[in-house]
Amino acid sequence: MNYLREIWRSRELLLNLTLREIKGKYKRTVFGQLWSLANPLALMLIYTVVVGLIFRVKPAPGDPSGLHVYALWLLCGLLPFTFVSSVINAGLRSLVSNAGLIQKVYFTRIVLPLSTVGSVGYTWLFEMGVLVIAVSIAGAFVLPWIPGLLLIMVILAIFAAGIGLMLSIANVYFRDTEHFISIVLQIWMYFSPIIYPVTLIDGPSKKIGGLLGTNITLADIYRLNPLEHFVEVFRNLLYDNRWPAATEWYICAGWAIASLAIGMFVFRRNERNLAETL
Amino acid sequence: MTGTAVRVDQVSKSFRLYHERNQTLKSAIMRGRTSVHEDFWALDDVSFDVPEGSTFGLIGSNGSGKSTLLKCLANIYFPNKGTITHFGKIAAMLEVGSGFHSELSGRENVFLNGSILGMSKKEITSKFDEIVAFSGVEQFIDQPVKNYSSGMYVRLGFAIAINVDPDILVVDEVLSVGDQEFQEKCFLKFADFRKAGKTVILVSHSMGTVEAMCDRVAWLSHGELKKVGPAAGTIKSYLSSLTPEA
Repeated sequence: MNYLREIWRSRELLLNLTLREIKGKYKRTVFGQLWSLANPLALMLIYTVVVGLIFRVKPAPGDPSGLHVYALWLLCGLLPFTFVSSVINAGLRSLVSNAGLIQKVYFTRIVLPLSTVGSVGYTWLFEMGVLVIAVSIAGAFVLPWIPGLLLIMVILAIFAAGIGLMLSIANVYFRDTEHFISIVLQIWMYFSPIIYPVTLIDGPSKKIGGLLGTNITLADIYRLNPLEHFVEVFRNLLYDNRWPAATEWYICAGWAIASLAIGMFVFRRNERNLAETL
Repeated sequence: MTGTAVRVDQVSKSFRLYHERNQTLKSAIMRGRTSVHEDFWALDDVSFDVPEGSTFGLIGSNGSGKSTLLKCLANIYFPNKGTITHFGKIAAMLEVGSGFHSELSGRENVFLNGSILGMSKKEITSKFDEIVAFSGVEQFIDQPVKNYSSGMYVRLGFAIAINVDPDILVVDEVLSVGDQEFQEKCFLKFADFRKAGKTVILVSHSMGTVEAMCDRVAWLSHGELKKVGPAAGTIKSYLSSLTPEA
């Protein structure tokens, strides 16, 4: 509890560090913040052509929204994923890249990885705003679902923050972490229903049946992936325009709380040694 | 003026001297261990009290543990043994301009750096003019700091740090920044500090500075406290230890 109070007292610092990232990022660029849209748009084009047109993956139309646009369906899962992946990437570097600061000034260290959540989150908010507009133009009625959307965004941010905290410490001890994680993140994306619908897994899974003589199917293992549940909630709200099942909310919230609790525990145990270890 | 501002009680701090350090997973696994090390005691059982309202100097040769002690005082390192107790708000100035973002303007960096040093936005806003005036970069305050000369950079950093307004200020060798005029300004500021009954702990290699500013001095050598007491006497014994006796 004391620790939370300490973080709360550092909120201005957290805000200022976040602003430093945001303001510094696109300084001296002509297009500024618009650059943050470039990456998701490029990915959208690539996957739409490769997966949507060449492989002909067809997710079911939005129910009840009736949307049937692969590019939009893709973005509803891709934007949350790129957010998680950017938070993890930036968060795990946050301590190492601010080594000078840590060795010279005392402040609540946790604000460094947390500020990356803020700055990446700011970009994400911008991207999601554009997506909401695009989905609305395509004919979905998103407005009533926006509170739910904001809630799941916060839950996902908490989930990503926890992982970022754990890995930022790991990266201080083993600089391999950042290289290793960039590979893990790529694998993670293909093992999540982002560019293809989860129904593609259900078919083969049924055919194989229980694995090794148990009742556990391939799909069950696949659904252990927390992102599967997050993406489901995002698509329910944005693409289908319906309220996600309560269990999905509980699973997402559970993952988020567990991730943050472990992240803070790991961070707190190691923060005193940071100045020496870096 | 009678109380104690900082109590350093039997503080020891060791660092690991690595003979082998496996900071990559491959080497950690291959060698089956993360490190082979021995402990090096940078501070060994150091105790002293810093009286409230005094200016306290730390002297000693390179590698004597002054900076380590300063970092322990500033909560950056944590001692292995012993305790350090502060009576009042402490601020450390180990480096000026920490966390400046070179693309941001001087104004933005004042707020950024101020909050890193623990000031609230309100405090910074109220002291903003004073900070800018002290640094003497009024004309360039809205320019990105990457265009500052190194002197301006340091002066702005110093001006922010000195305006944190702590009860106890810990300073490392930063007095040697800026030109003559700026240094005099700094000394005046430290004098004001003392008049306000605040405590300053500083490290310097310039015995002239230490003698002029400090009331009491602690002399460290190889992590051990050799002597602590009134400035003149301690400095004298330190200097005489440097010249081999004829």
